[in-house]
Amino acid sequence: MDPLLSVRDLKVEFDTRHGRVTALAGISLDVMPGETLGIVGESGCGKSITALAMMGLIPNPPGHLTDGQIVFEGEDITRASPRRMRQLRGRDISMIFQEPMTSLNPVFTAGDQIAEAIMLHQDVSKKEAWEEAVELLRVVGIPEPRRRAASYPHEMSGGMRQRVMIAMAISCRPKVLIADEPTTALDVTVQAQIFDLMRDIQEKFGVAIVMITHDMGAIAEMADRVAVMYAGRVIEQGRADDILDDPRHPYTSGLIGCIPALGREAASAERLPPLAEIPGVVPPLHLLGAGCAFADRCPLVHDRCRRERPPLAPHGMAAQEFLGGHAVACHAAEREIAA
Amino acid sequence: MGASGYILRRLGYGVILLLGVVVLNFLLIHAAPGDPAEVIAGEMGGATQEMMDKIRADYGLDKPLIVQLGLYLGGVVTGDLGESYFFNQPVIELIGARIVPTILLVVAAQMIAITLGVGMGVLAARRPQGAWSAFVSVFSTIGYAAPVFWTGLMLIILFASMLPLFPVEGMESARFSGGPILYALDVLHHLFLPALTLGIIFLAQYARLSRASMIDVLGADYVRTARAKGLSERKVTFKHALRNAVLPIMTVAGIQFGNLISGALLVETVFNWPGMGRLAFDSVLRRDYPTLLGVLFFAALMVVVANLLTDLGYRLADPRIRTGGSRK
Ligand SMILES: Nc1ncnc2c1ncn2[C@@H]1O[C@H](COP(=O)(O)OP(=O)(O)OP(=O)(O)O)[C@@H](O)[C@H]1O
Ligand SMILES: [Mg+2]
Repeated sequence: MDPLLSVRDLKVEFDTRHGRVTALAGISLDVMPGETLGIVGESGCGKSITALAMMGLIPNPPGHLTDGQIVFEGEDITRASPRRMRQLRGRDISMIFQEPMTSLNPVFTAGDQIAEAIMLHQDVSKKEAWEEAVELLRVVGIPEPRRRAASYPHEMSGGMRQRVMIAMAISCRPKVLIADEPTTALDVTVQAQIFDLMRDIQEKFGVAIVMITHDMGAIAEMADRVAVMYAGRVIEQGRADDILDDPRHPYTSGLIGCIPALGREAASAERLPPLAEIPGVVPPLHLLGAGCAFADRCPLVHDRCRRERPPLAPHGMAAQEFLGGHAVACHAAEREIAA
Repeated sequence: MGASGYILRRLGYGVILLLGVVVLNFLLIHAAPGDPAEVIAGEMGGATQEMMDKIRADYGLDKPLIVQLGLYLGGVVTGDLGESYFFNQPVIELIGARIVPTILLVVAAQMIAITLGVGMGVLAARRPQGAWSAFVSVFSTIGYAAPVFWTGLMLIILFASMLPLFPVEGMESARFSGGPILYALDVLHHLFLPALTLGIIFLAQYARLSRASMIDVLGADYVRTARAKGLSERKVTFKHALRNAVLPIMTVAGIQFGNLISGALLVETVFNWPGMGRLAFDSVLRRDYPTLLGVLFFAALMVVVANLLTDLGYRLADPRIRTGGSRK
């Protein structure tokens, strides 16, 4: 099966006070039709930039997509015209954001904002679009959808606003739905409801979901496959079960160690020293050297890690072949496999 | 409380405010040096003590100040603003003949300032680092700093001698003949320069404010959402962003109305525009206190009405205010 969306060696740079910094240093990902791909990593590792690149929404200036491809259904959308991109956005690829409180326009009603997206991409009357918006609000589980359609964002809770965002994002039956930390700003019970809703929607519409999160718990719950990012790179990738049961990268192990009460400690504890939390922070992008970006925080670090950056996957394997397989960018993991 | 309750409450505040303004103006003017009786006597061509006493009695100037104030307030409430010392005509009639040109001038200037200013600011915000943006910043600083009479004189020089397209004096052509439509056009033609002069000063502020407000709003999350829907940049800018960016501009527009009216006083003098500004100016020189008080009263009334309209407009434009007010 061909991937629906594949990112190849994508490089994104930003002009900053420190000169040009690399936010994405050549990442590759595949999204298969109807699956959920989780992208996980700490703050600042480039998750949102990856998502915005897929939408063609890297802010420019200061951002530049300097290399690589994003292929959607056979078309390299990094080369698409702005007009073509506008057609795809919201219709074939849509996105929901981390900040439900501020992502809806305060001066328009929820119904108007959903209907606007419908009218933009479909040949329907205003009235039909409104009826469809009400129906979508019902689908995303908003009580009294007809009344709520006429409400303004400030009259709704964060969870409800995120449901409105989801209704808007699925209004044109997209093939890919990118969810950038959709529950970070919401409290725990609401988080679980939103995850349930996303699973329902995936079942109903067969949409592929790209779930961005910094929480391995969310990955365990939602994802079929996972890409773990660190400092602008994918450092481990594979099926969610494989990675959760048998993480190869010390960073991934650390993230799994951060899952509260998941009962996976036993599996990983034998292999690696347990990490309740990963000490240290992601180094600033303009200070990244030649070696592994995780070296300074890594419990298994050795000389080679500081000199030479480990490539993703055992040597020589093409990105395409990762699919279904388990790939990791770590010298320590490689030695272990060789041994 | 619903919208009508809100309006009633605001109207009540407006009335109290106006009464306060009337009392303060009255006391201030009576604290100023100069005896109106002398001025009136001067107009009549002589000033014997006997005449002065008679004048004081006729105009009620011999009564204690507090009584005069009470009489004046009573008049105001019943729509009587007294008689002009100079014209010997009810003040209300004098103002009635001049208020329309002033409103015309102020509204036209405000419209010029807002449309041009917001247009300039919005275009500048689309490329904050661009040349146009820099031009708008410089232009608005100069426009803001330049005094009204200087701008007016420059425009007069420009249009009177170099580019005589627009009349620089009065509100209508002498010996005008033609139908009402032609007359309206004639007035508009005369209105152009005074309104532009008055507008330019405020235009600069709107340009600066809307540039800043628009840059702010264009970075908002909901603008990103609008783009993520696939909307064109034009729709994103003029529908999603501008609707939010105008909110602070509306607030300032309301506040500026007062300044606009005092600016109109100068502009009317420069362009010989037959409005209340000229009347106020002349009344000061003639110590025609009732007329001056009347003009000030109407100026305050216009400001109060303008602010009320701005508030109502703001409630229409910002749903958060609308429901916020009704919850209280
Ligand atoms: N507008 C910008 N200008 C300069 N640098 C930027 C800009 N946007 C993002 N970056 C840089 O790109 C890197 C990746 O940012 P990104 O927003 O993708 O992080 P993230 O993984 O989504 O983090 P978070 O979990 O906090 O959302 C960051 O280090 C950030 O400094
Ligand atoms: Mg992010």
